Amino acid sequence: MPEPILATAVVGSYSLPGWLERAKNDYLLRRLSRHDLDEMHDAAVKAAIKDQEVAGVDVVSDGELRRDNMIDHFTTRLPGVQVDLASKKFFYDFYDSVVRGRLPTGSLGLVEELRFLRRFTDRRAKISITGPLSLVKRIRNEHYPTEEAFALDLARVMNLELRELVRAGATDIQIDEPYYSGFPEDLPWGVRAVNALVDGVGARLSLHVCYGNRYGKPAWEGSYRYLFPAILDARVHQLTLEFARRGEDDVRLFKEFEPPFALGLGVVDVKSHEVETPAVVAERIRAALALVPAARLAVNPDCGLVHLPRDVAFGKLCAMVEGTRLVRAELGG
Amino acid sequence: MILHVNHLGPGGPGAPDWEARAGEVVRTLLELLAGGLVDARVVPGLRVHLDWIQYRANFRDPVTLRRAVDGAGQPLGLAEIAVDLRRADPAGLRAALAEALGGVTADEPAEAAAGPLWLEDWTPIRDGVIWRFNRLFWQRVADWEAVSGRRFEEALPSGRSDANHPGAVADSVAEFWTLLRDLEKKGQLPAEIFALEIGVGSGQRAALWLDRFRALDEERGTSYYPRLRFLLGDYSLPTLDRAMEAVAAHAEVVSVLALDALNPLRTLGFLRYKILHVHLTNVYDNLPHDELVRRDGRLYLVEVRAHLPRDRAAAVAAAAGLAVEALPPALDQLLRGGPEALGDRARAVALWRAAWDALRLEERLVRLDDVAQVPLPPGLDRTHLEDLLAEAPDDVRFHLSRGAAESFIHTVPLLHPRGYLQVQDIFVAGMHEYRQGFRGPGKLDGSVVNWVNGALLRAIGARAGYDVHFAPFRHRPGSRTSILYTTPRD
Repeated sequence: MPEPILATAVVGSYSLPGWLERAKNDYLLRRLSRHDLDEMHDAAVKAAIKDQEVAGVDVVSDGELRRDNMIDHFTTRLPGVQVDLASKKFFYDFYDSVVRGRLPTGSLGLVEELRFLRRFTDRRAKISITGPLSLVKRIRNEHYPTEEAFALDLARVMNLELRELVRAGATDIQIDEPYYSGFPEDLPWGVRAVNALVDGVGARLSLHVCYGNRYGKPAWEGSYRYLFPAILDARVHQLTLEFARRGEDDVRLFKEFEPPFALGLGVVDVKSHEVETPAVVAERIRAALALVPAARLAVNPDCGLVHLPRDVAFGKLCAMVEGTRLVRAELGG
Repeated sequence: MILHVNHLGPGGPGAPDWEARAGEVVRTLLELLAGGLVDARVVPGLRVHLDWIQYRANFRDPVTLRRAVDGAGQPLGLAEIAVDLRRADPAGLRAALAEALGGVTADEPAEAAAGPLWLEDWTPIRDGVIWRFNRLFWQRVADWEAVSGRRFEEALPSGRSDANHPGAVADSVAEFWTLLRDLEKKGQLPAEIFALEIGVGSGQRAALWLDRFRALDEERGTSYYPRLRFLLGDYSLPTLDRAMEAVAAHAEVVSVLALDALNPLRTLGFLRYKILHVHLTNVYDNLPHDELVRRDGRLYLVEVRAHLPRDRAAAVAAAAGLAVEALPPALDQLLRGGPEALGDRARAVALWRAAWDALRLEERLVRLDDVAQVPLPPGLDRTHLEDLLAEAPDDVRFHLSRGAAESFIHTVPLLHPRGYLQVQDIFVAGMHEYRQGFRGPGKLDGSVVNWVNGALLRAIGARAGYDVHFAPFRHRPGSRTSILYTTPRD
């Protein structure tokens, strides 16, 4: 089956049910077993996949529902990173973590997550990982001479995991780097680290950069202009950005710089509980099409849907898909 | 019987002999019990609280009986007698305690000619008639002041508002200016600099703040002042008018907005994530709340029933030229339509003031079968409440500061990612502080004042992505005010 134009995708996370939130915290407080929590994760992931399929999303994820947050899922799995497991009382908080020596290589366990995802969907399946710069900003470095050196070594270790994912059948991999927006001065080495991370990884690669979604609110404000021209060196197929909340002004940067990668256009605001209409989504896509050709445009939410109630998240995905269909019809797709 | 001696009252030179008063209460109680006034079977479920209420003017009689009931209103074994040692008249103590003890097992009294004049049926505090009085006060504060002859700030315990303290204002301005400078250094200073004050009072604080900010800006040559958009928000239009006069010298950077402190986001949604500084003084302590009680591991919701003691009701009615029975409908009319709804404005304000002065709240404890039955304020879920209860004393009465929580959760979305909320008020900063007793609520001139559960706001803030901190108000010795401020949670 040919790929649709304006392919729709989630950015990664899906609505986290209240009961799962409580269970995660109960596990953290030793009131629930790992076995029981894993079973709950499996059930929640299946439901998240089904919601995405019913909404009609082309590229689905496991909703990242197994993750406490975008950092700890990796710091607790990266060999050589020491994590103080007593350092948080709420699952969504970050653990204190530190690296005190050169990182050894080892599995991060993402292949199992991919296999589970592929077992329950025939759609294109995307797996997201947190990028080196964002991880470096959260792990205390007591070994590497510079943040860049730390990031490049993280990339070396994580690159092996990405290659393993591809061998296991991964077709779509996304790197999340929200901390770019908080540390624009570090962007040049951030891009070098991403390139080291994806070196030799044969999958569709997207790089997601937003202004933060911690607790469902932005961590920074500004313009994506800071990304250019450094981001043009990123060896990825798509740059996935948020526009629905911030307005579409920065889409023109894709016209101005004509980057070698496609644009993942954020068309639904993940920080608002108001569900967009398909017409609004379609209008946002049309506005982008005035600057970026359809062949280089994909459609997605601004960021993960983790902080939204399930009915709102599902409604937004439906609106995104329906709005995209309206535009596809206009394009004869 | 369990005796709770939480907080007898402040000591120091000239202070009453609290210990002697407490001893007298206990001795009298034991004598009455020994005299067989109460069925011996209820004594094990009886609790006596020796309290000290923060405010001289409050809603409780010096000796108060609180009975516990189940969800259907049927009496349970638990009953509490609370004695406000400061106001309990030694001469009348025996009679008051005897009456309270007699009430432990008495049937619910029918409306009687000699009994209190009820203004409402049992209701959670948040829905009580006192909040209608409170709202009327802020909407018609000028009417009240015209009769009282003093500004509402003069009714505060210290005789003036800590909000207007020049030192506190200077600190606030310096903090804000530093934030702006940091943002500018990083090239992240927005073109328009939004700041918001909710609950503007007389406008004095805003005027002082703006004067200081302009002076500092000129002194440092930073040119922030012309970019400032200072918003004054209040639900009372007369108050906004008065505040606007106070800040007339800054009219070019000030806008006034009619907004509900419970939900600023509703009015200011267009400024979501854009406001760098939000300030409130003495607003949270004036918003509807509930109260929860835990006794023997069970939770109870406090319900109240507003009334006027019969003798006071008779005097109030007579002064207004009304029959006593005509008072409740007249007051309802007043609360709905303001003083003019009763015709003669001056007489209506006099009635309003007299009724407020006489107003009392009877309390009862309604047992909740489960934490799930607690009327949770916005932003707080059951897990958080359980966490709060885990850190609270086993026997505790505490505020469920619903209005403050609602205001908080509907304010923080307005904050710029680097913005902060600053609230000057009276906070109970940790659940353990309730071990010292429950100090409120009180009556100010025409409004309600109550302590705010800071621990609850801390829990709600954490969930919303903010760490909530409390700092003592250091500019006036002995001040009970604290300053809440938020920092973005990492």
